[in-house]
Amino acid sequence: MESLTASQARDHIEMVDKILTRSERSLCVGGEFFVAWGIFGALVTLVIQLVVSGRVPSSAIAVLPVALIAAVLFSALRGRQLGRRADGLSLIQREFFVVLWISLGVAAFSDFAGYQIFTTWASSAIWNVAAAIVLFFIASHGNRRAMVCGIIMLGSIAAANFVPHYTGYILAAGMLFGYAGFGLVSLIARD
Amino acid sequence: MDELLLSKIRLGVIAELLNAAWIAFSDLQQATQTTNGNLGAHLGKLVEAGYVEEEKAFVNRRPQTRYRLSKKGRAAFVGHVRDMQRLLEKESAS
Repeated sequence: MESLTASQARDHIEMVDKILTRSERSLCVGGEFFVAWGIFGALVTLVIQLVVSGRVPSSAIAVLPVALIAAVLFSALRGRQLGRRADGLSLIQREFFVVLWISLGVAAFSDFAGYQIFTTWASSAIWNVAAAIVLFFIASHGNRRAMVCGIIMLGSIAAANFVPHYTGYILAAGMLFGYAGFGLVSLIARD
Repeated sequence: MDELLLSKIRLGVIAELLNAAWIAFSDLQQATQTTNGNLGAHLGKLVEAGYVEEEKAFVNRRPQTRYRLSKKGRAAFVGHVRDMQRLLEKESAS
């Protein structure tokens, strides 16, 4: 029976380690994107809630395009920075980005094309659903933090349903603690 | 040790499949940096041994073959890596 020498075994184990590290890296890299978009998503819902409840004037909505531009610029610059450093996308990263873009793309299309169906809180909730799908996909690859954060997101939808006057606050909290929170704990765990 | 996984390419294929659901042939080829024929032959052996499952489908009217790790393949991989680690432990002890 054929076998390996110790040197070959070491070489094979190093290769396996490299592949597995590359695979796992995909679900750790990008914590900052979750933080940026989680804060932006929460801010949108929070500002709308504050305007609806009369706590701030409707002109406060003007802050949202500025926040959107900031999130887009941050993502573009950070993405470029990471792209230069990374040695290409791993297979699982590609799979992750497919799920990410499909989930967010479907949410964006539904929100904008169905603006008469997805009004006010339904519009916010649909983004929470899309974000929860992304987190559960990550969780399906053995990430418990993503599982907990996905449950927080779904929990926020269920809770918001029963508290009519605070719907926006609860959905915003779900986005902040679920999506941005996942990014933050991923960054802390990475360091 | 698992004879089938003594090949570095086959071991690499199994490691690539370990954390993914299904992977297309072209993606595996890119990841393992092998030629069509070479990868095809290795995958054929893994499929034949039941370590990897193969599925042929049409994506955008183009035929696509994709693969995923079977339970048998996962167990064989775990056992093989454990055996390699034991070998290294023995060597460092002697």
